[in-house]
Amino acid sequence: MLHRPESLGEAVGFLSSDADAKPLAGGASLVAMLNARLVEPSALISLARLKELRGVTVLADGTVRIGAMTRHREVAEISALAGPQEVLRQAAAAIANPTIRAMGTIGGSVALNDPGADYPPVLLALSATMEIVGSSGTRHVAAADYFLDWYTTALAPGELVAAVQLPPASAGGGVYHKLARVAGDFAIVSVAITVQTGGRVRAVIGACGPRPLSLEEADAELERGNVAAAGTLLAEAADPVDDNRASAAYRRRIIPRMLGRAFTEAHAQERAS
Amino acid sequence: MTRSMDVALTINGEERMLRIEPFETLLTSLRDRLHLTAAKRGCNQGVCGACSVLIGGEPARACLSLTANCVDRDITTVEGLSTPLALSPLQAAMVRAGAIQCGFCTPGMLITLTALLKERPQPTRQEIRLAVSSNLCRCTGYQKIVEAVVEMVGGGAA
Amino acid sequence: MTSIHTSVGHSIERLDAAEKATGEAQYVDDLYRPGMLHGAILGSIHAHAKIGGYKLDAARSIPGVAAVLTGEDFSCGRTGAFCKDELPLARGKTIYMGEPVAVVAASDMETARRAARAIEIDYEPLPAVLTIDEALATGAPLVHEDLANYAKIAPSFSEGNVLWQCRLEEGKIDSAWSQCDVIVEDVFETAAQHHMYMEPCGALAEIDRGGRLTIWSSCQSVHLVQQRVAEWLSIPMGRIRALAPKIGGGFGAKGGLHVQHLAAALALKTGRPVKMVLSRVEDFEIVRSRHPARVIMKTGAKKDGSLLAREANIFLDGGAYADESPTVLSFAVLMARGPYRIPHLRSRGLVVYTNKLKASAFRGFGNPQVTFAGESQIDRIAEQLDIHPVELRLRNAVDAGDRWAGGQTLPACGLRECLTKLREAVEAAPAVAAAPQHRRGVGYSAFAHISGLLSTACNIYLRSDGSVAVNTGVVDIGQGSDTILTQICADALMLTPERVSFASPDSDSSPYNWKTAASRVTYMAGRVVLAATIEVRDKILRQASEIMECSAEDLEIRPGGLVGLKGVAAKTVTFAQVASHALARLGGPIMGASSLLFDGERLDPKRAVIEGFAFSNLGAYIFGAQAVEAEVDEVTGAVRVLRAWSAHDVGCAINPQMVEGQIQGGFVQGLGYALTEEMQWDESGRLTNPTLMDYKVPTALDTPIEINPIIVEHPEPSGPFGAKGVGEPGLIGTAASIANAVAKATGKRLHRLPMTPERVLDALIGES
Repeated sequence: MLHRPESLGEAVGFLSSDADAKPLAGGASLVAMLNARLVEPSALISLARLKELRGVTVLADGTVRIGAMTRHREVAEISALAGPQEVLRQAAAAIANPTIRAMGTIGGSVALNDPGADYPPVLLALSATMEIVGSSGTRHVAAADYFLDWYTTALAPGELVAAVQLPPASAGGGVYHKLARVAGDFAIVSVAITVQTGGRVRAVIGACGPRPLSLEEADAELERGNVAAAGTLLAEAADPVDDNRASAAYRRRIIPRMLGRAFTEAHAQERAS
Repeated sequence: MTRSMDVALTINGEERMLRIEPFETLLTSLRDRLHLTAAKRGCNQGVCGACSVLIGGEPARACLSLTANCVDRDITTVEGLSTPLALSPLQAAMVRAGAIQCGFCTPGMLITLTALLKERPQPTRQEIRLAVSSNLCRCTGYQKIVEAVVEMVGGGAA
Repeated sequence: MTSIHTSVGHSIERLDAAEKATGEAQYVDDLYRPGMLHGAILGSIHAHAKIGGYKLDAARSIPGVAAVLTGEDFSCGRTGAFCKDELPLARGKTIYMGEPVAVVAASDMETARRAARAIEIDYEPLPAVLTIDEALATGAPLVHEDLANYAKIAPSFSEGNVLWQCRLEEGKIDSAWSQCDVIVEDVFETAAQHHMYMEPCGALAEIDRGGRLTIWSSCQSVHLVQQRVAEWLSIPMGRIRALAPKIGGGFGAKGGLHVQHLAAALALKTGRPVKMVLSRVEDFEIVRSRHPARVIMKTGAKKDGSLLAREANIFLDGGAYADESPTVLSFAVLMARGPYRIPHLRSRGLVVYTNKLKASAFRGFGNPQVTFAGESQIDRIAEQLDIHPVELRLRNAVDAGDRWAGGQTLPACGLRECLTKLREAVEAAPAVAAAPQHRRGVGYSAFAHISGLLSTACNIYLRSDGSVAVNTGVVDIGQGSDTILTQICADALMLTPERVSFASPDSDSSPYNWKTAASRVTYMAGRVVLAATIEVRDKILRQASEIMECSAEDLEIRPGGLVGLKGVAAKTVTFAQVASHALARLGGPIMGASSLLFDGERLDPKRAVIEGFAFSNLGAYIFGAQAVEAEVDEVTGAVRVLRAWSAHDVGCAINPQMVEGQIQGGFVQGLGYALTEEMQWDESGRLTNPTLMDYKVPTALDTPIEINPIIVEHPEPSGPFGAKGVGEPGLIGTAASIANAVAKATGKRLHRLPMTPERVLDALIGES
């Protein structure tokens, strides 16, 4: 059964009453999984008609609220993002290919949490929060507490992601680098670095473990300019896998190398801004 | 057991009634129910692009779209891009450029390029390459597909 | 032949381009027949296992299921083109994971697949061999215990898991090494590549009340489908009519059966049409792959650059069934010398069985593997002798009049021109500096291939309106042969292509054509089309001479379907008039027919030691050379090809635009082979990347901005208008060109394909 609720409340109602129902956003991942029989939901709750999940708004305090149904190609062009928030645009532009970017949504991607996905490292770097809606209301979960494990998030049964929120931007720059086998593939390793004017640096490694990887000690080393030390810390803490794309050993090996390049570029961008 | 439902779809400007399964993809509906077979099943995973159609004027994978979720959208398939008597300028350009070999990727390419040209009537070569990267081709190596668009928009694309 | 070309040499639009552009072209999955059922396959879950029994009741009792068949439902013995080792469905034993063990026909695809999953099979797992080394190990489990008793078409030197061995030796190699000033030795390894045509394999079989089966399928030969399905169903060939709808690419994989016999068996059983189209996952798992290979090579040269000796030991991993492995092996052994005058040669090879998907024909047919090895070594020698890589190749390149290994004479050879033009193009291109942390280099390769093989036939007749009908049985698999053959016929009669129709292949009425493969159609089918057209032309002139009351020698064909008196502009008759005259006088249309078994020189056992070859003659030799500019990212090891040039001697470009398309398409498939494509199996024998998510082929953004095709024409005397093929060469040298470019850029050489970022980084800074 496919339900097409017209209000968020109705959608949440469907989800909480059926444990095997799944929300359907852009379909870029979910329908592929359906076709491959990797999921067999009892019902799908289409989010297509929910106005509450659309649109990008800047709240009074400067928070940028990106509706869950915002498609990747729209995220890649959000003009309200400033300074280091630039990395979110870059990550969105790196997802798959133009057609998938016209279909897939930030909410859908964030709800699935594919370990090779492009959003988790940048959302962690930007200290984003997920606005989550369920039958008991709305709650906000910081990225650090949201991306938990392979395909596992802080979403409880019956809940869905309504929006992704970014704290107000500061001045600075950021880059998102991704190594993939061919254009549009999932990352072998990705690096998101934000550099705030004034010195704060945040580096997050993606696709190297069940969660995006960020270490305070590594950030501190980067702030002191010790890129090699930061790289070593992150490489040691990473928990990559061997898969069709690359070996774990290779992934660990290139973390410090990609970090170095991304850091140089992020700094240059921050100076230019 | 799934329950079938009756839906009305707007396809190439026409309203079509069909009976579908709730989780049926648009690709299945187009091909198996309406015999609009231009959209092809190359992978059923959204990677190859041979199934591409326009939904609301934007490129989409029919294999990743649930028909029941498209009932209020305008769907354009390759069958809607030309008239029985004439090829569209883009189709003619692809033919002229030698950009068609086995032809299996061609419908998807046309959809992607139609969407590109609507948004960017004078695309650069890099923009064309980026659009074409949405679709896999195994025969042409993509070169003549890109050249077809370059020539069509005036030959001088940077 | 006159010098007016109404068609040959013109880049006319492909005959089928418009219908493909509108999406009207019909491939097998676009066909629907009333009452059609859908077929699904159950694949084995073990790499090697005995099949003890089947429980089919649950499957059969699902509503909508019309038939369930297993290997026990087929009565034929083992068959195979070179070694008879294969059954239509696994019986008694399964020897690779995913191997079809049962099939179901049901009212819809979902039900058919659900029913397949409901079949229970009693497996007794056996130990498996998954690599060349495991297959060759002493005491290794045998994939085919009965190999010694399988019928084979030629001496195969089979033993244990070794399916076939062959060798070719010329000169006195053992004493040649001491005369060399430089010797290089390397071991090269290449991976299994998948053809990844855009259209998955499929067939639609329908049976009529008279018991005749019509089979539409995505195939490279209707005659082969008819013959092999008849064999496997144990029915006479006359009960099968094989047709080809539009084909969405093949590259060799569709040159043998895939599911045609399964759809046909289900149609026979149910009395209803059955369509069976593979999912992409199934297509990866059960069709064919390229042979993974190990090539141990040694090449020696004198310090003036003349190549003296080459030794190649070739190991191919053939997977579970022989299919075309014997010919792939033989071809690899034959091509291992490269397109050079190397007097002392020892080329040996073997192909083993393993418990994996069978490896078989794939564009290049064994040549890409040995060319990766050989052309890498040529560059190593050039480097050590400080000779420019093109210069070294030119010094040793074969030329017209030379003999290939095994003795076949080359009547024409444009290799030198390819190399020279290539170097000019590369050096004329503006140099661009590498980006920071990247290094650039240019790499070259040179290669030869064969255009030909086996038999083909054609018949042609003149219609009463003066137009011409061509009938060849050739399946156009997307490369455009319909158009090329039409152009050849049209040109020989000075007609424009619109006046020539090309019949769709039909095993009922088409003359025999072996298959579309081996870069052979332009050359082989082109020869018979031209010969049959010339016969028609001569008959036209004879009939016209009766109408015009003169001698046929005084007449000439003129453009526009006319016959005229030489030197007299005004006196003409039309083809239509000639056709009508013939109908009235001869009682039938003017017709021409021609058939051909490749008739060139055979391998010469007095010149070379030749053992175990699965063929004795091949075709016309074709030549090419390729260059790439590649950039290596020192941070990650990722390689990008920025620009490419590919020069090919095609004898005569019948349709230059289409030749370019083959060159460019071949290059990009070669790019995938070189950099990103590798089928991967785990220790249980499971193919771990049977999807497009996990097996990556190049997208437009992964291709160089320019792939510059350079067409060279040294007419092949036996070819139609001098033409020969170009279907495969575009891919053959690509991996070597890129490896050579990487070596130039970084000083490090890759010996293993694909050259993933990981492998390149290991080469750059040592393994971690």
